[in-house]
Amino acid sequence: MEFRIATDELKKALYRAQGIVERKTTMPILANVLVNATKSGVTVTAFDLDIGIVSEHPAEVSKPGAVTLSAKYVFDIVQNLPDAQVTLKKLANNYVDISSGSAHFKIVGMAAEEYPKLPKEESAPLVQISGNTLLEMIKKTQFAISSDETRYILNGVYFEPQAGGKVRMVATDGHRLSLIERELTGDFKLKGGVIIPRKGLMELKRLLDEAPDAECHLGFAENSALFKKPGLTMVMRLIDGQFPEYQRVIPKEGEKVVMVPKMSFLESLKRIALLSADKSYAVRIGLEENKLLITANNPDLGEARDVLEVAYRGGDITIGFNARYLTDVLSVMETDEVSFELGDEHSPGVIHAPGDRSFTAVVMPMRV
Amino acid sequence: MRAIIHVDMDAFYASVEQRDNPSLRGKPLIVGGHAQRGVVLAASYEVRPFGVRSAMPMARAVKLAPQALVVPPRFSAYADASEQVFSIFERYTPLIEPLSLDEAFLDVTASLALFGAPAEIARRIRKEIAAELSLPASAGIASVKFVAKIASDLAKPNGQREVRAEETVAFLAKLPLSRLWGVGPKTEEELTRAGLKTIGDVAARDVAWLEKRLGSQGRHLWELSQGIDPREVVPDRAAKSVGAEDTFEEDLTGVDLLRPHVHAQALRVGRRLRKAGVRGRVVQLKLKFSDFNVITRRTTLSSPTDDGQALYRAALELLERAHEDKPLRLTGVSVQSLDEQEPQQLGLFSAPPPPRSAKLNAALDRITERFGSKAITTADLAKRGGDGDDEEDRWGRH
Repeated sequence: MEFRIATDELKKALYRAQGIVERKTTMPILANVLVNATKSGVTVTAFDLDIGIVSEHPAEVSKPGAVTLSAKYVFDIVQNLPDAQVTLKKLANNYVDISSGSAHFKIVGMAAEEYPKLPKEESAPLVQISGNTLLEMIKKTQFAISSDETRYILNGVYFEPQAGGKVRMVATDGHRLSLIERELTGDFKLKGGVIIPRKGLMELKRLLDEAPDAECHLGFAENSALFKKPGLTMVMRLIDGQFPEYQRVIPKEGEKVVMVPKMSFLESLKRIALLSADKSYAVRIGLEENKLLITANNPDLGEARDVLEVAYRGGDITIGFNARYLTDVLSVMETDEVSFELGDEHSPGVIHAPGDRSFTAVVMPMRV
Repeated sequence: MRAIIHVDMDAFYASVEQRDNPSLRGKPLIVGGHAQRGVVLAASYEVRPFGVRSAMPMARAVKLAPQALVVPPRFSAYADASEQVFSIFERYTPLIEPLSLDEAFLDVTASLALFGAPAEIARRIRKEIAAELSLPASAGIASVKFVAKIASDLAKPNGQREVRAEETVAFLAKLPLSRLWGVGPKTEEELTRAGLKTIGDVAARDVAWLEKRLGSQGRHLWELSQGIDPREVVPDRAAKSVGAEDTFEEDLTGVDLLRPHVHAQALRVGRRLRKAGVRGRVVQLKLKFSDFNVITRRTTLSSPTDDGQALYRAALELLERAHEDKPLRLTGVSVQSLDEQEPQQLGLFSAPPPPRSAKLNAALDRITERFGSKAITTADLAKRGGDGDDEEDRWGRH
């Protein structure tokens, strides 16, 4: 194997691999990327047995071949090369010579044959989608994904095609839930929803962020998802199981509805949560006539209190919330005002844009 | 080696309905919501042969079993029953991990010396649930959580099953793949296609083989198939104490004279617990005799409380046993083993409603806050002029 490639191209390929390769693994080869040079160019593959990406790059290949290399070390090296071009050449025993300008590296690799094979997903019916829309959907649900590994069903986002060319994405950690419905026209040929795992979703987000306007395709087959954009293919294993009946926990309309200026609410929550007890982010939200009060107290530090002016005329109420659950939601909203709906101290609060429930967040209170 | 019991009430909501309404007993019964849009919340064992299962859409359930009786849910009744069931668990261990209203893991490793073998504890718990609540429960006993859960499921209805540590692998081996936590329909299909039928087939495979096929989940499934499940039973509480005590103007002798003081102290402790947002299980009564000799007596409640009346009942029992008809100069009531109520996050899918006394106490607290502690109190204290919160308090932290 021998090829010459633009340093930036190789850097891009290795950057894409960083989030996927496993460092703490029983299979050392999973910390490597598979570099494969063919007549048409070079592909760099990263795979952790659950998620795999294959990144294609133009290169002058003088001798086709393949090898695997440490994703982390080679990335560090490539970031520090002196020249805009770099040459990789496989030597005996899977050593690889990396040379750029006056610099030479001789790196230990492992045999390409030992690299695990990615699942082949040619059968997945691919649907062309808007990268920007998918990106928005990920950003507005990812924060609610559970990080509790014992609730593996909740360690991902539920992707559920709806009638009329829409797709709903839902994430919940059992304490809060985020739902977004957007237009993603096309037939995914799914019977119900599928659960996309967090790690795969984060990688997908990273890939979309690179170039949201690029032509993107998404498809599902068996128990995996396939994502393609020019020069890149990603496959990932989905979470197998039944996502909870999320519709059941979304209140239709809260008893008390108040319009709150988003930025002031967000800033105030961050401020007051500084005084919450034991980093619990617990704050109390009170509604009184034309006032929204945010208070917190920490037995070791003291108390904090803030007031927002709102148009409100229901009865007085005080409900505890995890401030972070609220700021997570507010941070991803675009409108100047948000509609905040409350029940009682044991019922979920709901946040959505005024008059628009296509993005809805549900947050359970805290007993404080 | 741990001893874990998984207790699961049988067709809980339906059983409560059948218990409370004799005309439903022995009949196919569905507890569920709206006939068109709702889902089945519980199906009695009589209706299960027709294929009705919980979480099934009501419309479908009614089609499968048109003769079934349908009743709407009464969540407060289930919450009451649930509370009583959990208070029975607490007689045997503090290590209780609730999974829902009607299901919990109990770690009874440390209770074996007190109550006997784990299967014996399970039998007693089920017997007490049957005697005190007239409800059926099933139990699984094992050395790891997920096996205990499978065992209780296999023991249903109204049974129990023990899987000893040394039998675990053999017990699992015969079970179908779908019994493994984390195996959904797709994983099952994938494994079936590879020729695996039982958990034993998974156990017999190489870890690497499973990892290759299932990714990181492969190793997890393999470990489970070997009965390896390091997850512990996780309750959550920390220790502190809250108390109130008074030195009398003159020494008092006899329960009749002491009772109102202890009552007032218990109510004050309750109020402070609520203010601090904590509840305690261990009630301690302190008595200082006229000779300055101090004794303390304590009792453990079946469940943590912040209710002054509950504390009073416990303290009074202690007083009746301990006062010895000697003159006393001081009594004090305190509560320990507080469940640290760090602000507690409520769940979306399992929100337990608060007990009834909580509403009453919240109302009393609001009145007291506004009008002072003399504004409202119990009848026995009314003529003394309230249970004044201005008397000496004691807050402790250990």
